[in-house]
Amino acid sequence: MMTRADAFVILLATLLVVGSYAWLWTPSTPATQVRVVAGDREIARLPLDQPRQLEVSGPAGITVVEIRDGAARCAASPGSQGICQQAGWLRRAGDMAVSLPNRVIIEVLGDEWAFDSVNY
Amino acid sequence: MTRYQSKMSPGMRFAQALAALSLVLLLGACERPEIHRDRFIAFGTLVELNVYTADRELAARASESVRTDLEYMHRAWHAWEPGPMGRTNELLATGLPFSANPSVLPLILDARRLSEASEGLFNPAMGALFALWGFQSDEPRGPPPDPEQIRTILEQAPSMADIEIDGIRMRSRNPAVRLDLGAYAKGYGIHQAMEHLREMGVENAILNAGGDLRAIGRPGNRPWRIGVRAPDGQGVQAAIETRGDEAIFTSGDYERYYLHEGKRYHHILDPRSGQPARGTHSVTVIHHNAAEADVASTALFIAGPGDWPGIAARLGVDKVMLIDDDGIAHLTPAMEKRVKFEGTPPEIRITPLP
Repeated sequence: MMTRADAFVILLATLLVVGSYAWLWTPSTPATQVRVVAGDREIARLPLDQPRQLEVSGPAGITVVEIRDGAARCAASPGSQGICQQAGWLRRAGDMAVSLPNRVIIEVLGDEWAFDSVNY
Repeated sequence: MTRYQSKMSPGMRFAQALAALSLVLLLGACERPEIHRDRFIAFGTLVELNVYTADRELAARASESVRTDLEYMHRAWHAWEPGPMGRTNELLATGLPFSANPSVLPLILDARRLSEASEGLFNPAMGALFALWGFQSDEPRGPPPDPEQIRTILEQAPSMADIEIDGIRMRSRNPAVRLDLGAYAKGYGIHQAMEHLREMGVENAILNAGGDLRAIGRPGNRPWRIGVRAPDGQGVQAAIETRGDEAIFTSGDYERYYLHEGKRYHHILDPRSGQPARGTHSVTVIHHNAAEADVASTALFIAGPGDWPGIAARLGVDKVMLIDDDGIAHLTPAMEKRVKFEGTPPEIRITPLP
């Protein structure tokens, strides 16, 4: 016979499973923050919901980070091939733009990544 | 069949359930192991370290260790800057015997073995060719070199077999030998930096330098999940879950290149023609040794869609994926078991090794 307490335990277990699923399993979440690293140091960690522009100086010049509409991008950078700018708008957690000559990393963060690391 | 009969009252059961729940919540409040991720620039590239641990302080020390190790190795092994490798090149050019620097000797010995196993497709003695194309610079730019200059280097035919090594004494029989261990040193560096982390007590980690990585352990009760980027740069083409201690290396024509008069020239040079190797888009290798994986991905790229299986067998790598110029994925049977394609899979050819 199922008692009330049994029903309560089953309900609780169900909630726990559903809850942990929603909590732990979030594929390719939208990013919420941008982290900017210059050289060896993290110089900024900013929310993506507030528009702003950030100038980062490095050994090759100034890299401009633009934040708008829940995304960030490398708007300008001294590298001659424009690799940093070509990354475009970064909106999914884990996306990043890098300027090697200026030693700047712009990455957007969320709660979970689809992959632990990317091979290329 | 007997049925379990509880003698507990509903009230007691409720209390028990509540106790179990609070225990679960209590355990959750302890410092739980999590993935600590750090990204920084070292070894002339973007480095990413993931450490799965409950010890926040250990993760921070691990980052510092990797950064310092990689920067040190980069300086020691750089072929074109003053340092142990730069000096070794100067001494090799004299043709006279000299005592090898201990920080580069093990690399040269191992690279010589692998160069032979790859039938010379991996030829780190042809550093002059690499420099001639301008790929040693941070931002390579054309134009491509004069064919006459390329022919001169090919005629001089510098190879690892030209280096005589007796204990720590070394000399080159060919003054054109110029070592550039670019296709080996990153793998060896990743291997060494990870060994150091292990000695520090790190058990579960991924060290990724410029897209090539070595993973150890696992983050909790699932494997590490690695995405392999599509050769056209548009997102992730395939997923690989690592097993224990494994390195995953990819050589692609999209990594370093320049455009000249509408033609693309990439950095993976064929020592037989002196030109960028044609026919291959990318080669991905899973192997237990990062330095060998590094060499194999380069050598198999140069071998191309026709000849790669023989070279792979000689190098002892059995998990290979080669994407050719037509976008066809050639996989060894062992690799096919490990790769899951994302989205629309490419045309696949399973190629057993000889």
